[in-house]
Amino acid sequence: MTIKTGDQESPEDSTSRADPKPSVKSPPPPETPAAVQTRFRVIAAFWAVIIFLGFPIWWKTTSIYRASLPIEEMVDWAGGKPFWQACRPVFPLDIHLATPSMQSADAQHLLRTTQHTLDDLNEFAAHHLRLKLANDSASDYGEGDLGADASGEVADTALTVRLLPQENLLGPRSELHAAATQLDVFYPPNQVPAPSSWNSPLSTYIAEELQGLYGEEKATIAHILHTAGLASTSPQLAEDISRRLRRSMKYAETYHLSFSLFTPGSRPSSWDIEAAVNEYVSPLLKALSPISDFTVDTQVQLYANFAPTAPKPEFDESEAAWTLKKEDLSAFVNAAEWPLNPSIGSGPTINFILYVPEPSQSPLIVKENRASSWIVPQWGGVFLLNPTLSNDKTGESNPAHLSQDSLGPAFMTFSHQLLTLLGTPSTPASLPLRLQTSIRVRAATLLLSASSTMGSLASLTESLPSIPIPATVATSVSTTLSHLSSTCSHLREGRFGAALASARVAETEAERSFFEKSMVGQVYFPDEHKVAVYLPLLGPIGVPLVVGLLKEIKRIIAGRKAKRAAAS
Amino acid sequence: MALLSRFLQAFALLLLAIAVSAEHTSNWAVLVSTSRFWFNYRHLANVLSLYRTVKRLGIPDSQIILMLPDDMACNPRNAFPGTVYSNADRAVDLYGDNIEVDYRGYEVTVENFIRLLTDRLDEDVPRSKRLGSDSGSNVLVYMTGHGGDQFLKFQDAEEIGAWDLAHAFEQMWEKKRYHELLFMIDTCQANTMYTHFYSPNIIATGSSEIDQSSYSHHADNDVGVAVIDRWTYYVLEFLETQVTSVTSKLNLGDLFDSYDESKIHSQPGVRWDLFTGQEQEGRLRTVVDFFGNVQNVEVENANATEPGSLKEDLAEIARLVEKWQKRDEEYADVLARNDTDESHSSSLHLKPKSKVGPTKMTEDGSWGKRLVGLAVVGVCSAIWIAGSVLGRKSG
Repeated sequence: MTIKTGDQESPEDSTSRADPKPSVKSPPPPETPAAVQTRFRVIAAFWAVIIFLGFPIWWKTTSIYRASLPIEEMVDWAGGKPFWQACRPVFPLDIHLATPSMQSADAQHLLRTTQHTLDDLNEFAAHHLRLKLANDSASDYGEGDLGADASGEVADTALTVRLLPQENLLGPRSELHAAATQLDVFYPPNQVPAPSSWNSPLSTYIAEELQGLYGEEKATIAHILHTAGLASTSPQLAEDISRRLRRSMKYAETYHLSFSLFTPGSRPSSWDIEAAVNEYVSPLLKALSPISDFTVDTQVQLYANFAPTAPKPEFDESEAAWTLKKEDLSAFVNAAEWPLNPSIGSGPTINFILYVPEPSQSPLIVKENRASSWIVPQWGGVFLLNPTLSNDKTGESNPAHLSQDSLGPAFMTFSHQLLTLLGTPSTPASLPLRLQTSIRVRAATLLLSASSTMGSLASLTESLPSIPIPATVATSVSTTLSHLSSTCSHLREGRFGAALASARVAETEAERSFFEKSMVGQVYFPDEHKVAVYLPLLGPIGVPLVVGLLKEIKRIIAGRKAKRAAAS
Repeated sequence: MALLSRFLQAFALLLLAIAVSAEHTSNWAVLVSTSRFWFNYRHLANVLSLYRTVKRLGIPDSQIILMLPDDMACNPRNAFPGTVYSNADRAVDLYGDNIEVDYRGYEVTVENFIRLLTDRLDEDVPRSKRLGSDSGSNVLVYMTGHGGDQFLKFQDAEEIGAWDLAHAFEQMWEKKRYHELLFMIDTCQANTMYTHFYSPNIIATGSSEIDQSSYSHHADNDVGVAVIDRWTYYVLEFLETQVTSVTSKLNLGDLFDSYDESKIHSQPGVRWDLFTGQEQEGRLRTVVDFFGNVQNVEVENANATEPGSLKEDLAEIARLVEKWQKRDEEYADVLARNDTDESHSSSLHLKPKSKVGPTKMTEDGSWGKRLVGLAVVGVCSAIWIAGSVLGRKSG
C-alpha cells in the first residue's frame, strides 16, 4: 500500500536517481475500493465479535443471579407487631364438658353461663377457651393425644371437664388428673344453676378454675407475641416466664441428647445406660415427639479431672460431706478437656453429665442447699451421684458397675432438666397439659421467628443489591409462606398439633433460605477495584479497536458528504 | 384506687421489661489475627493474649472462635519451640497446653470470616467452627493485622473492606445473632474500619486514627521480633491488673478512659452512636459483659414443692413412666395374642436404628448430561468440518 523508500536499492531506483530532476515525494496512491472494503469488514468483524459474543458473555458471567422474591408478602408477615397484616394468631382452646348425670337442658344452660363468665374473665383476646358439650358415647377422656391427628379436621380437645355430683359437699371441688387431660369437678347436686339465673356458684367456680389452669400459658403467649403485659399477670409470674424463656434452648428440629458418665478414677467403668434411657427418658421423648426429634448418645469417661483453675471441693464438717460453692458451679465442667459438645449433625446438643466423685471426696454436694444437681442454662444439666462405697483390701472404692436402679434418681432428674431446658411451663400440675401448652407456645414462637426471618431476608435483599439469590431461596420462601398461612389457619381452628407441624416446616425452610450458602458474595467491590481489574486487560485491546472504529466512521461520513456534494 | 394499682402494675412490668432487655444470656468471642509470617509474631501474640484473658474470665472454648493464620509456636525460627510470649519477661506461655484453634493457616480467609459471622456455612461444618450466638448473646470481635484506610489485609492476597464488615454485622443483626457487640481492632488506621457500621447495638473501638500507624510495644531480643502491639498491650494491662475476676464491676467507660495517647503513640477511637442509649448507656456496660461469661447456674432445690420444681416433676415423670410401662405390657399382650412371635415390647421405646449402608451417588439426569455432551461435541465437529470444506472451496 505504501511506497517503499527504504535503503534497499533496486535497479529501477538507481536509474531514477540518475535522473537530474529531484524526486518529488508523491502521495500514496488512493486505496483500492477492495482494500477499503476489506478493512471495513475486518473492523466490523471485530466489533461483531465484541458486541454479539464478548459483551453477552461478560454480562452473563459477571451478573448476579437474583431470583425474584415476594418481598411485599414477606414484609407483611414480619410487619407490624400490634396489627398483623398477614395473620393474627389466635388460640381458641376447645374444652369438653362431660356431664354424665345432668339433663341435657341443664347442661346446655350450665355451659352457656360458664362460657359467659369465662369471657368476662378473659382479657387477652387472642387466647380464649371454648366450651363444648362432650357427647358421652365418644368421650374417651383424652389420653393426652398430643397432636396425634395432625391431619384431622376437628379441633384438638385441650381438656375434658367431667362434672360429677357428690353428696355431702358444701361447695364444688376439683381434681386434676396428673396423667391425662382431664379435670374432675365434684359438685353438690343442689348447685346446678336454675334455668332462670345467669349466675351460679358452680359455673363461676368452673370458669375460675379453668382460668387458673391456663393463666401461665396465657401470660407466656402474650409475652411471646409482645402484647403489653396482662394486668392479671403478677410480676412474679412475668419474671418466671422471662427467666424460663431465657434459659430454654433455642428451637431446633433435632436435639442431640448426650448422656455422659464422668469419674476422676477408674471406677465405675460401666453403667446400665440402655435400660436407664429406655426406662426413664424414652417415655418423655415419646411424649415430646410432636415438638422435636431427639437422638441419644452416651459415653463413659474415666480419669476426668477438674480444670486446673477450677475451685476444689471443700470438706464441710457440719454436713459431713464435700461441698461445692454455688458460685463455683459454672466452673465445674472442664469444657477444655472433657469431650463434650460432639459435632454430630446439625442440631444443638443438650449435655447431661453424671459425675461420680472419687471415694476420697464422697459424698459431694452443693454447699448452699445440699442439692446434687443443677441446670446450666441453654447447655444441659449436671447430676452428682454418690454411690455406696464398697470396702475392700485397698480401701474404699466406687462400685465398678452402676445398675439401673442406682441410675434411677439421676435419670429422673435428667428428664426433669430436659423439660426445663425445653421451656415447658411449670403449671398446671399435669404433664400432658403442660406438654400441650408447650405445643401451643412452640407454635407461637416458631410462627413468630419464621415470619421475622422472612422480614430479615426481605430487607437484606433490598439493602444489599450485590448479594446473589439462588432459585432455591425463592422456593424455600414460597414454602415458608404457604406453611405460615396454613399454621395460622390451623391455629384459628384450634388444631394445634397440625399448626405446630406446619410451623416446624416453615421455620426449617425459613432458616434454610436465610442461611443459603451461596448467598455470600465477596460482597462489596469499590469502583476503584473494578477499574484496576479491567484497565490492564481492556486498555491495550480497546484503544486500537476504538480508534479503528472512529476512523472508519469518519471515512463513511466523509464519503457520504462527498457523494451528496457530487449529487447536488 | 383500682386504676392506680393498675398503673403501678403496668409500671412495674415496664421496669421489668427494661431490666430484662439489658440482660444477655451468653457470651461469644471471635478473635482474629490476619497476618502470616514470623515477623508478624506480635499479631498472633495479641490474639492469644486476648484469648487467654477471655478464657480466664470464663468464656469456654466452645464459645470462642480463634482464627490464627500461622503457627508461631512451631516456626523453625522460634528460639523457644512450642511457646508464644507476648512479653519479653516470658512469664506466661500463651500457647500453653490448652488451646483450641478453630481456623488455622489458609483457612483464615475473608470468605470464611464472613461466612462465620453470617453462619452461611455448609451443613457439615462442625459446631466448634460456628458462631452459635443468638438474640441474647454478647459478642466480642477482636481483629488485628496490617490494614489501611478502610481495609484490613488477610494473609497475603486478600483484604476485607469496611463495607464488607458493616454488611456482615448488619446481617447478624437482622437475623438476631447478637444482643450487643463490642468490636475491637488493632491495626494501622484502625478507626477507619468501623466508620461504615450501621447496625444498632455496636460499640466499636480502634487503635489509631486515619493516616496513623499503630506501633508495636517492645521486642524480645531472644525471640528476635516485636512481641505485642501498643494498644493491645495497654488494653491487656487494664484487663489483667484491674479486671481480676468475673465479678468485677469496672465498665467500658473505665477501659476506654484508660487509653493514654502518650503511651500508645496513636489516637485510639471509640464509636458509641450506634448503641441504644448512646455513650451514657454504653459506658455503663461492664467489661465482663463482653470479656467474661454469664452462666447463671440454677441449682435445683430438692425440697421445694412449688409447681415445676424438681420434686413435682419427678412425680409426674414417674407417673408417665408407669403409664408407658402399662401400655407396653398391653401392647405385648396384643402381640402375643396375634401370634406374632417377634417380641416388640422393648422396641416400642426406641426406633430401631436404620442401617445406613453405602449408597450410590445420585445419578439423576446423568443420561441427560451425556446427551448434552454428545450434542456439543457433534455441533463442534460439524462446524469444524463445514468450515474446512468452505475454506477449501474459497481457497
